[in-house]
Amino acid sequence: MNGALRPVALIARREFASRVKGRAFIVGTLVVLLLLGVYAAVVATLASGEDTARVGVAGPAVALTGPLERAAPTEGLTLTVVPQPDVAAGEAAVRAGDLDALVAGDPIRPRVSVESEPDAALERVIVDATSAVARDAYLTGRGVDPAGLDAAVAESGPVVVSAEPPDPQAGQRLGLGLAGAFLLFFSIQTYGAMVAQGVVEEKASRVVEIVLSSVRPWQLLLGKVLGLGAVGLLQLVVLGGAGLAVAGAAGVLSGGAGLVSTVVSVVVWYLLGFALYATVFAAAGSLVSRQEDTQSVLSPITITVLLGFVVGFNLLTSDPRGTAITVISLLPPFSPLFMPARIALGVAPVGQVVLAFALTITFTAVVLALGGRIYANSVLRTGARVSLREAWGRARS
Amino acid sequence: MLEIDGVSKRFGSTVALDGMSLTVRPGELYGFVGANGAGKTTTMRIALGVLAADAGEVRLDGRPLDAASRRRIGYMPEERGLYPRMAVGTQLRYLAELRGRSAADARAAADRWTERLGIADRRGDEVQRLSLGNQQRVQLAAALVADPDVLVLDEPFSGLDPLAVDVMSEVLRERRDAGAPVVFSSHQLELVERLCDRVGIVRAGRAVAEGTVEELRDASAPELLVVAPHAPPGWADALPGVAGTRAAHEGTVVTLADPSDATLTAVLDAARRTGPVLEFRRLRPPLAEIYRDTVASTGTPAPPEAPGAAA
Repeated sequence: MNGALRPVALIARREFASRVKGRAFIVGTLVVLLLLGVYAAVVATLASGEDTARVGVAGPAVALTGPLERAAPTEGLTLTVVPQPDVAAGEAAVRAGDLDALVAGDPIRPRVSVESEPDAALERVIVDATSAVARDAYLTGRGVDPAGLDAAVAESGPVVVSAEPPDPQAGQRLGLGLAGAFLLFFSIQTYGAMVAQGVVEEKASRVVEIVLSSVRPWQLLLGKVLGLGAVGLLQLVVLGGAGLAVAGAAGVLSGGAGLVSTVVSVVVWYLLGFALYATVFAAAGSLVSRQEDTQSVLSPITITVLLGFVVGFNLLTSDPRGTAITVISLLPPFSPLFMPARIALGVAPVGQVVLAFALTITFTAVVLALGGRIYANSVLRTGARVSLREAWGRARS
Repeated sequence: MLEIDGVSKRFGSTVALDGMSLTVRPGELYGFVGANGAGKTTTMRIALGVLAADAGEVRLDGRPLDAASRRRIGYMPEERGLYPRMAVGTQLRYLAELRGRSAADARAAADRWTERLGIADRRGDEVQRLSLGNQQRVQLAAALVADPDVLVLDEPFSGLDPLAVDVMSEVLRERRDAGAPVVFSSHQLELVERLCDRVGIVRAGRAVAEGTVEELRDASAPELLVVAPHAPPGWADALPGVAGTRAAHEGTVVTLADPSDATLTAVLDAARRTGPVLEFRRLRPPLAEIYRDTVASTGTPAPPEAPGAAA
């Protein structure tokens, strides 16, 4: 192995091993997995939770049975019509909660008894059924066959020609894109902060002096970023994989919605985004010497990322083709968060993707150079917080 | 051979090192003494490449130190530091590998040194669970585990119990006998005197005296102890070649300006004229006294330490 890279590999291996074996990683991953599972279960229940209703009919209103059953599917209601021996028994059943409503009396103007107020969908079904009965009676009275009218109406309807046909998988793509953006945000924030904590821990425990008498600062920084980046990637893959599996099992997701390409682009953008943010976090961490001070230097970064994320996420859900989200996804600090989502949505032209990629790589290179310099200048300075000016100026003098 | 040649370093407006030069030969145990802030730690940090010098050069065997040759140096920083949550054995192997040892060598060395320093049964424990004394032993093992050709130790004896001091002394002598240049700083001057082949005294960022303890003694003003019970006060003050006298050790300490035979004869004769002379001998000042004299005779006290740049 190349002499300069062996220490980098050793450092990366130590970071990886100490985090993956750590309780925080395992517990954290399990907790997120659990939340993901609960979320999927709730979504699945809501998705499969088609409305059902039981309606009793009594007296002449029994004639409504057919029209009710025919009207229910158009309102997305699964309706069970239960004939009641008489009105009193039906009303008792409503009060007992066995029936959602009792329809009694004249089929055209029936009396509907409910517990407190009728379900909106059920009310529409009953209205549909009564109008159908009224219409059929009117037509039949004038010698017209209602069935003939129904057949004629069924034949009618426009033929829509759309210039840009809607993607039948748009929902899935949006879901994938948003999940990808969220996972990227989560990983970058979590593992970026871990890089900073690691840097501060080495400064606080003074071990950095021993390490830096063996390796150069850039080797330590690179090894740290690679090691923790790999941990983040592992978690990203575990969570992403579990998420896809759960979604697949719940039937929310079917293959072919650019699944593979989305996963690949999320991973590629994660690597780029992590290199970018981890360097910033490491440089920030090197400015302080105590864990208590870490938050003060990290907040400006995490808040910026959070704001960008919230704004971008909203734009992505409301107007994924808009100018605002296009601009945000082209700005290097936010490209890694939103470009993969826009790619998944299929709204990012190739030119924009290439441009964002090139901009991010350039930006990352600049950040690596600046951050590496700040890190090298301040990582051995203990005591009070090092100001950015000092960290920057020291190298020039 | 480790040579520090004319190294200078400033921290802002504070001059930490001002043309520091010293040489540690192979098979030599070198004691580095000086007040806090005199520049000992800064010198060692520069030698290890942890700090960059403004001027001057550090050479190992005649060649300027670079990243590769620095890995041959075993280093114990003044600010002790290890990964608190890493197990002792894993940590030592890691540090040895960082200095270029193979995984197998690193394992063998970690086992050997933990055994030698009496912490073999703590190999699997996290460093933070060890007592301070045992953490110090791990720290020494960390300096030794890469089988270094040179040892640079900053205050290796501070915070050690007497048994650990013995082990540390033994190990330093061993490395010296194996032909390694060994340099350490200490405020415990009796220990330095007992252990070191040569001593360098630093003041305000420069080496102001360097040599064996004997050489330093010869260079300092020679003193005689004369015990003559009947001698009146000031009996030797006016003698030729005498710089001064003071009462001490139940007699008179005579500081000589000119340690020639004529002066010695004159002092002895003067003493005998006062009555019986019970004792007449050359005083061998301990290193502590030489140190005080050297530091005092070379000017104003050292400047206060620069923040974040402990010397």
